[in-house]
Amino acid sequence: MIAKWLGKRVIMGTIVLIIVSFLSFFMMHAAPGNPATAYYGGNAQTLTTGEKERIEQAFGLDKPVLFQYGTWLGEALQGNLGYSAKEGRPVSTILLERLPNTLQLIVLTLFLVTITSIWLGLQAGMKEGSLLDRGLSIFSIASSAIPPFWLGILFIMVFSITLGWLPSSGMNDVRGDGGLVDRLYHMVLPLTVLVISHVGIFARFLQDSVKVENHSYYVQVARANGVSEREIRSMILRNAVIPYINYVGVTIPSFFGGSIVVETLFSWSGLGQLLVKSVMVKDFPVLMGAILIIGVVVVICLFIIDVLMICLNPRLRRGGFV
Amino acid sequence: MRTQRKYPLFWIVLLALIFTTTIFSSLLAPFEPNAMDMNQIYKAPNATHLLGTDQLGRDVLSRLLVGGKVTLFIAIISVVLSSIIGIIYGGISGYFGGAIDAVMMRILEAFLTIPSLVIVLALQAIMQGSVWRMAMIMGVTGWFVTARIVRSEFIRLKELEFVQMAKMFRTPLWKILFGHLLRNCIPAIFVVTIFNFAGAIFTEVSLSFLGIGVPPATPSWGTMLYTAQNDLLVGAWWMGLFPGLFIFVTILCVQVIGGTFKQGGRSHI
Amino acid sequence: MEVLSNKGGDHIFKIENVAVHLNGKYLIHDVSFTVPKGQITAVIGESGSGKSTTLSALLGMLPAQAVMEGSILFNERNLMELSEQERAGLRKKHFFTIFQDATNSFSPTLKIKQQLYRLTASRLGQKEEAFLGKITAILKDLNLPEDVLNRYPFELSGGMLQRCMLACAFYNEPDVLMADEPTSALDMLHQQEFIKLLKNLHARLGATIILITHDLGVAAIADSMIVMKNGEIVEAGQVAEIFKEPKHPYTKRLVANHF
Repeated sequence: MIAKWLGKRVIMGTIVLIIVSFLSFFMMHAAPGNPATAYYGGNAQTLTTGEKERIEQAFGLDKPVLFQYGTWLGEALQGNLGYSAKEGRPVSTILLERLPNTLQLIVLTLFLVTITSIWLGLQAGMKEGSLLDRGLSIFSIASSAIPPFWLGILFIMVFSITLGWLPSSGMNDVRGDGGLVDRLYHMVLPLTVLVISHVGIFARFLQDSVKVENHSYYVQVARANGVSEREIRSMILRNAVIPYINYVGVTIPSFFGGSIVVETLFSWSGLGQLLVKSVMVKDFPVLMGAILIIGVVVVICLFIIDVLMICLNPRLRRGGFV
Repeated sequence: MRTQRKYPLFWIVLLALIFTTTIFSSLLAPFEPNAMDMNQIYKAPNATHLLGTDQLGRDVLSRLLVGGKVTLFIAIISVVLSSIIGIIYGGISGYFGGAIDAVMMRILEAFLTIPSLVIVLALQAIMQGSVWRMAMIMGVTGWFVTARIVRSEFIRLKELEFVQMAKMFRTPLWKILFGHLLRNCIPAIFVVTIFNFAGAIFTEVSLSFLGIGVPPATPSWGTMLYTAQNDLLVGAWWMGLFPGLFIFVTILCVQVIGGTFKQGGRSHI
Repeated sequence: MEVLSNKGGDHIFKIENVAVHLNGKYLIHDVSFTVPKGQITAVIGESGSGKSTTLSALLGMLPAQAVMEGSILFNERNLMELSEQERAGLRKKHFFTIFQDATNSFSPTLKIKQQLYRLTASRLGQKEEAFLGKITAILKDLNLPEDVLNRYPFELSGGMLQRCMLACAFYNEPDVLMADEPTSALDMLHQQEFIKLLKNLHARLGATIILITHDLGVAAIADSMIVMKNGEIVEAGQVAEIFKEPKHPYTKRLVANHF
C-alpha cells in the first residue's frame, strides 16, 4: 500500500522534472536570436557568418531540436549544465555555490514559520472568540496582502537606515570573519520578512482546523468523561496537523517564489537572486540550470512532506481508504 | 450559532474608489506625471506635493495614480485570459473524465509544483517588453487554480439530474457545457477570479520591483518601488512608503471581498 | 444482588424543576425526577424529546449560550453552584458516559491503547503498567481480542468500539454510568450482546445507570423509567408498572407498538 502510494509520488515527481526541463530547454529556443546572440549580446550583429556557424556548431544548433534536448538532458543528468554565457564558468559550479545560501534561508524560514504558526494557531483555535482568535484572523488577512518586498523596504528604512541596527544587504560583513554569528546577523531582516509574510496564513489554517477538531464528536466524548484539557489539546493537535502539513506541501513552491524577491532586495546571493540576474543579462544556460535545480529542490521537499504525511496519518500506513 | 456575515460594503466602496481614481488619473493628477522639476528634487510630502517628489522632481502622487492604471490594467487583462484558459482546461478535464482527465490533471499538478514566479520570470526572459506582453505572460501562467476548481465543479454538476436529462434529450454538447454546467459554476469561478486578481497584482508588482516587469521608465506601483531602493539611501522614505501602501490597500480590499464571497458561497478552494 | 434491595429514599440525583432554554426557545422545562442509587433508570423518548439535553444538564455540559433554571442535586450537592473545574472533576471521578456513535467517539490518529488509557487510568492518576494488566483482563471478559489495543479506531467495527467504551466503564467503576443511545448505531446481534454486557456490569459493580434510549426493548432492563415528549416528562414510574399499565396516551402508543 505504502509502496504503491510512494511509487505514484515518485512518478509524479519525475513528470514534474521532465516538464521543468522541457520548459527551461525550449525557453532558450523560443528566445529571440540564438545562444550566439545571447553570448555576444549587442555585439552579435558584428559577427561574420563563419563565426556564427562556428558558435552554432559548438552549441549543437545545427541538429534537430528534440535531438538537442536529448543531448542536453543526458548531459544534465551527469551534472553537466553547460557554461555561463556571461562568466564562462560551468553552470553547475555557479549553482552549487548558490544553492546552500538559498537552502539556509528557506529551511530556517520553514522551521520558524511552522513552529510559530502551530503554536499561535493552536492557542487561538482553542480559545474561540478570544482576542487572540480574532486578532490572528485579522493579522492573517493583512499579512497576506503585504508584498514581501515592501515589508523589506520598510524594515530597511527603519532598522538599517534610521536605527542602524541591522545590515540591509549581503550575507557577510566585508571586514568580518564570515562566521556563523555574522551570517545570522545578516539573515535577520530577510528571514523576518519571509516569516512574517508566511506565518499569518499558516497560523490561520491551523487555527481553523483546530476549531473543527475542537467541535468534533470524539472531543465531546473526551470532555464528557473528564479527560484532561492537556490530553484533549494533544489529541486535537495530532489531528489538526495532518491537513496543515498537507497545506505546507502545497505552499512550498511559493516559499521559493518569495525568496526570489527577498534575496534580490537584500542582495542575498542565492538561487533567486541568480535567477533574476540571469534573466536581466539573458544568460540562458544559467537560467535553465537555476530553474531546473529549483524544480529538483521543490520535488525533494514535496517528497519529504509525503513521508511526513505517512508518519502522521495512520490511515496511509495501515491501508484502509486513502 | 451562525453569525450573519456582513456585506463588505466598506471594502467594495474603497476598491471602487481606487479604480475610479486610477481610471481618471490623468484628470485627477495634480501634476503631469512625467514633468521634471529640477528645483523640486526629493521634496518630502508638503502642501504642494502631497506625497513628495522623486529624484527628478516628479510628483509622487501623480505618478502613483497613473501607475495604478498600468498595474490594474495588466492584472485585469491577465485575469480575463487566465480565467478563459482555466475554464476551458478544467471544463474539458472535468466533463470528459477518464484518461483525458488523468493526463490533464497530472500535467496541472506538475505546473502547480513549479513556483509560478519562476515560470513568469522564464517567459519574461524570452519576451520581455510591452505592458500587453506582460499581461499575456501572466495570463498564460495564472490559470492553474481556476482549472482545478472548474474541473471539480463540472464533476459535481454533471452527475446532477438536470444535466443527465439534457444528455438524454440529446441537447448539443456546447449547450450542456455552456448553458448548463458553466452557468452553474459561475459563483465558484467568480471567487477564484477575485483571488487570482489579487495574485496578479502581486505578480506584476513583484516583477516590476525586480526590474524585469514593465520597462522601468513606465510609472507603475512596482517600478516605483524598484527605483525606491536607491531613494532610501538619500532618506526619501516617502518613495518607499506610499507605492507599497497603495498596493497593500488594493490587495487587502480584493482579498477581504473575496473572503466574504468564499464563505457565503459553496466554493471550495 | 444486595444493591438492588437498596430501594427507597436513597437518591444519587435529584432533579427539580429544570428548564433549559437556548436563544429564547425552551429545550426542556418542568423536568423533575430522582435517580435511585444503584438502579437502572431509563429515559425514553424520540429525538427532540429533550432526553439528550437532560443528559447534558446532568453532565454540566450544556452549550455555552444555553440558560438553565432549577436545580440538580448530585449526592445533595447542587451542580448549579459548582465551578467549571469542579464539574469537570465530577465527570472525571464519579461519572462515565457512553455515547451513541462509537466509531466517532475515538480520535482517528491514536491507538486504542492510548485512548483507553486517557479515558480510564489517566483520569485516576494511575501508571500505564497497572493499566495494561487491568484493561487486558477486562477486554478478555468483553470478548475483545487483546490486539485491539494496538489498533486504530478505523480498523475496528462499531460494535467493537462500543465494547471498548464499555471496557472503560468496567475499568473506572463510576458511581453513575450514563449511556446515550448506546445501541442505536449497532446491528441487532450487537445490540443484544451490548445489553447483556450492560446488565452484567450493573450486577458486578452495582453502579447507578442512566440509560437514554428510544427503544423500549432496551429500556426493559431498567428498574424505573421516565418518558419524555416535547421537552417535558409525561410519565414516570417503575418499568414493570408502566409496561403493564401505561397512563399517558403517548406511552400507551409506545407500549402498544412495542408488543
